[in-house]
Amino acid sequence: MIGFLKGMRVTLRQLPKKKVTLQYPDVKPEWPERFRGVHRFIPELCIACNQCARICPTSCISLAGERDENKKMKITTFDINFDICILCDLCTEVCPTEAILMSDTFEMARYSRDDLYLDMHWLYENEQRYEEAHPERVAEKAGRAE
Amino acid sequence: MGNWQTQPLTLPSVLAMVLGAVIVLVLALGVVTYTIYVQRKLLGWMQLRIGPNRVGPLGLFQTIADIIKLLIKEDVVPASADRPLFLLAPVLAFVPSFLVLAVVPFSAHHVFTANLSIGVLFYLAVSAITIHGVMLAGWASNNKYALIGGMRSAAQMLSYEIPLGLSLVGVVLMAGSLNLNDIVLAQQHSGWWNVIPQILGFLVFLVASTAELNRTPFDLPEAESELVAGYHVEYSGFRFAFFMLTEYVYLFAMAGLCATLFLGGWSGPWLPGWLWFAIKVVLFIFFQFWLQATLPRMRVDQLMTFSWKVLLPVSLVNLVLTGFIKAFW
Amino acid sequence: MGGKRGNDVSLIDEQNQIRTEEMLLNVGPQHPSTHGVFRLVVKISGETILDAEPVIGYLHRGTEKLAEDLQYTQIIPYTDRLDYLAAMLNNYAFCHTVEQALELEIPERAEYLRIIVMELQRVASHLLFIGTYLLDLGAMSPFLYVFADREQIVQLFNEICGARLTYNYLRVGGVKWDAPPGWLDKVEAFVRYMQERLSMYDELITGNEIFLARTRGIGVFDTDTALAHGMSGINLRSTGFRWDLRRNKPYSIYDRFDFEIPVGQNGDCFDRYYLHLLEMNESLKIVAQALQQVPDGPVLGKVPKLIRVPAGEYYSGIEGARGELGFYIVSDGKDKPYRMKIRKPSFLNLQLLPKLLRGQNMANLIAILGAVDIVLGEVDA
Repeated sequence: MIGFLKGMRVTLRQLPKKKVTLQYPDVKPEWPERFRGVHRFIPELCIACNQCARICPTSCISLAGERDENKKMKITTFDINFDICILCDLCTEVCPTEAILMSDTFEMARYSRDDLYLDMHWLYENEQRYEEAHPERVAEKAGRAE
Repeated sequence: MGNWQTQPLTLPSVLAMVLGAVIVLVLALGVVTYTIYVQRKLLGWMQLRIGPNRVGPLGLFQTIADIIKLLIKEDVVPASADRPLFLLAPVLAFVPSFLVLAVVPFSAHHVFTANLSIGVLFYLAVSAITIHGVMLAGWASNNKYALIGGMRSAAQMLSYEIPLGLSLVGVVLMAGSLNLNDIVLAQQHSGWWNVIPQILGFLVFLVASTAELNRTPFDLPEAESELVAGYHVEYSGFRFAFFMLTEYVYLFAMAGLCATLFLGGWSGPWLPGWLWFAIKVVLFIFFQFWLQATLPRMRVDQLMTFSWKVLLPVSLVNLVLTGFIKAFW
Repeated sequence: MGGKRGNDVSLIDEQNQIRTEEMLLNVGPQHPSTHGVFRLVVKISGETILDAEPVIGYLHRGTEKLAEDLQYTQIIPYTDRLDYLAAMLNNYAFCHTVEQALELEIPERAEYLRIIVMELQRVASHLLFIGTYLLDLGAMSPFLYVFADREQIVQLFNEICGARLTYNYLRVGGVKWDAPPGWLDKVEAFVRYMQERLSMYDELITGNEIFLARTRGIGVFDTDTALAHGMSGINLRSTGFRWDLRRNKPYSIYDRFDFEIPVGQNGDCFDRYYLHLLEMNESLKIVAQALQQVPDGPVLGKVPKLIRVPAGEYYSGIEGARGELGFYIVSDGKDKPYRMKIRKPSFLNLQLLPKLLRGQNMANLIAILGAVDIVLGEVDA
């Protein structure tokens, strides 16, 4: 009979303890810097090398580029079909110019699958959102680059 | 109002009875509402959660919101269910749970309840009717899980009725009366509550009442991980609400019975009687939730073995001991 | 439905015995205790199980076939989704096979980081087993306690690789990222915290009389049966057979650590539960030792950009959270495997289930199924 009384003591001791509940929609979780949320994309940096599209295990990235007046490749279309993206982070790993990166946007519930087709503009806006939310991370990066 | 039950039936007394019933019903509903709230809060706190907190301050209106939700839900009767029985079952389960409140003395004077001279017997007899409701629900749903759940609960409630009854007999012997108010008075006179001289009976009562209430660790009829939801798996909306209501009204009634028989009912120093009664009821209910937070569920065959091979002999021993004590002192 | 109403079927047969009817009960695919989409067609008489037939495949995604069209690096995120409670171990099992094929040299620091994340993953997976198992048996609180503890491991993983469930952290030849500053100290603090918590679980669950009555002597099988059915991991060790690949066929750097291989005696559900608890303690011991020894250095070895496995057949198995987790790769020298076969411990452990269930009652079904500890993502792959 002792065993179950011990268990009763354990549960009673939890009663005054600090609760772990996160009041989610009111309080957002703090994501670490490496968190892999929805992509963000910086069009100026992209050289349309197509490496991200090739490494993607689910082939969810499609892109197209053209040469500008200086004969440099410029991105014209960059779409991520977020419907099938598995957030594996391989695209950012292969990107030579760090044009595609992961952000901490994670709320992606939509009413329609079409809304999950993310184009360049959406991804760039996401980048701007990220910069606004984490100025210190972006500044740190700029400092390292120089 | 005192003794209107013994007088001839007149219009004022009929009105008084109806008024009393309505007040007890409202009281029971209020208690159930906040029992559910407290249950969810307590379980939450014991599980490192915060429990209901969105509806109203501290989530105080959560249960009310739940009730409203259940009431306005679509009333679904499965096409292959036995329709009349399916509709009858929740009523059959609920009515006795409310009836038994008629004999529980909330305070020193039976203001709203009946001063029945066979109170204990009445409680046991009426509460047994609920089993029929539960069994009917399991059968009429035409669902395999519901059927197993219904059969389990019938077997379980019948097995535990006996040790429960026998543990009460000890108390009745002590007081020499089946009237619940007399039992409280007897405890007041003897100077100690029955929980001390009847400790064996009290333990048997605690276990058997938990089983009667279908609460953890005896919640087999609605064992979620095995039977999905047991006998009320096909019920939804206000019919489901009736089953839940039954469960919690019984919890309240059983707490009242426990307080009356073993903890001295409304008697106690300094504080008013109804407050003492409330404190004892809350203690019993807290204990039930505490068990629920800790224990896993028992198995059907172990449950039966435990009732017949452990509880029954213990309650018989208790009865014999009580008899000896009463005979020689 | 059980009975026939209103017709002239006699309730008493010729031998004057009450006629009972067998009932076919579908447990799952939507059932709270099947841990995913698993279906069990049970033939019961009363509450006694006469026969049980598992039906699997609801979560089949064709990982093995998909792998034939993917480069080796691209397969790693797919392995995350096999046993989604132990993604790090799946990552490792796959990377290890490819590394063996390529005969790669793994940097020391990467090996230690791998050991740390793998053993933490084992703890997270075992914790969840304990929580869900107790939930199956009807106790609610342990489930929430383990989730609070597992959350800390998940947070640690989130910091090191940016994901909470599908990590994709390991790479052929090393790991994706070095540990962020301060991460190792956090792990150390967690190990100390977790050791305390384990004794709390022990106190809450192990001594409970109802729990003992529900699990002792239930679902018993012996070593021969287990071996004949290809069982591994805790299911095999619970029968008293000391077989742990970390010790018996050391891979990675497990030979550098001092740890025990706990084994059971009776091969029943209780042993399987208790071994999970003991193994968590051993895993924490390994993490603590690894934290002491972890050197500085690179975390990714010299790996060609496009991995081409030389033609041939390769197999390597590791001690996963549920048993021997192995990848068998047939390569024709290209950058994609010609054929990949996964040795899925959950799938093999499940094979004994119908035999174990025969003659038991409905409540034991849950206890036995829960103790086998399957993850449907892996069973169905």
